Amino acid sequence: MDQEEKIKSLQEENKKLVEFGLKKAEMVSISAHQIRTSLSAIKWIIKMFMDGDFGKLNTEQESLMKKAYEDNDRAIEIVSELLLANKSEDIIEKKYDFKEVDIIELIDDSIFDFRGEANARGIEIIFLRPEKDFNTVLADREKLRIVLQNLLENAIKYGNTHGKIFITLKEAGGFTEISIKDTGVGISEEGKNKIFEKFYRDKEAQKKEAVGTGVGLFTTKKIVETHNGKIWFESNTNEGTTFFFTIPNFKPGK
Amino acid sequence: MLKTVFIIEDDIFLQGLEATKLKKEGFDIQTASNSKEVISVIGRKIKIDLILLDLMLPEVDGFEILKMIRKEKTLEKTPVIIFSNLSEEKDIEKAKKLGISEFMVKSNFNLDELAKKVKELIGQ
Repeated sequence: MDQEEKIKSLQEENKKLVEFGLKKAEMVSISAHQIRTSLSAIKWIIKMFMDGDFGKLNTEQESLMKKAYEDNDRAIEIVSELLLANKSEDIIEKKYDFKEVDIIELIDDSIFDFRGEANARGIEIIFLRPEKDFNTVLADREKLRIVLQNLLENAIKYGNTHGKIFITLKEAGGFTEISIKDTGVGISEEGKNKIFEKFYRDKEAQKKEAVGTGVGLFTTKKIVETHNGKIWFESNTNEGTTFFFTIPNFKPGK
Repeated sequence: MLKTVFIIEDDIFLQGLEATKLKKEGFDIQTASNSKEVISVIGRKIKIDLILLDLMLPEVDGFEILKMIRKEKTLEKTPVIIFSNLSEEKDIEKAKKLGISEFMVKSNFNLDELAKKVKELIGQ
């Protein structure tokens, strides 16, 4: 096979792989939806039993129902994590579409998405908005949103109940630097060198939250670096973690 | 006068559980499980105070139904809670652009939390 034929063959193989990847992602998404529908029904029925809608439960029944409810919630979380892992694989490979993005609006949207989860844990999300007009950034909006969601989700998951999350923005030499600080468990000393590795889950994180795939920060780092940005953190055990990342500012005419 | 919640959900079992809970919490309920039934309910010109809308519906999905609802003068500004097990950003974005009050992933909430959200939005 000559050079040109080899290239054409590889391109066709790649096209098939991309199509297969998209079909797989769609199948996972549909399956997840179906599993979640069943898990929702189970959740609601168990809660009705626990609330005494079908008569008072004895102590043993109450305890068993509580266990069933918690295990069902864990199954729901696992489905969410699998969906996230599925999307992460997909998202890194997808083409980037760089445009002008209003970072303040994107942060507001991300906070809106996580309001329910944060409220459920009594966690307050405080966005320290810049006082005057702020830059827009040059980014792929969907992927930048994933970065914010991953970092916010971690801050909530590993934050202490009734804690706070602070989000700040500042101009940093042609880039916008965003920080997300939590008052949670922090990252172990051992974990600090591995935290961005695919599938790595810090032991402090595992103590706090058993369910997780460990792909969030790996994907987050890939996305930030594809934007020519940087990501780093400061963390102390039981005091919390602050993640920082930079995204280039939008320059009109470029 | 009781406030009315319009539940649009094709899973009849889940629809029943949602309706039972919200009735217990003091709301009047209208239900539909597909676009034909939605049109029928809208046609009766009942005052609707909140719409609880699933997205994965047969033949005509929740997004199209939401667009249809928003074309009705009396329902242009009616609060809508998307109550779905879809959770992709693209779905949330699409729903927000059509004007929703809340996007709730069903499996993340129990019915007490749903009722609480409905009361927050329209009182009782």
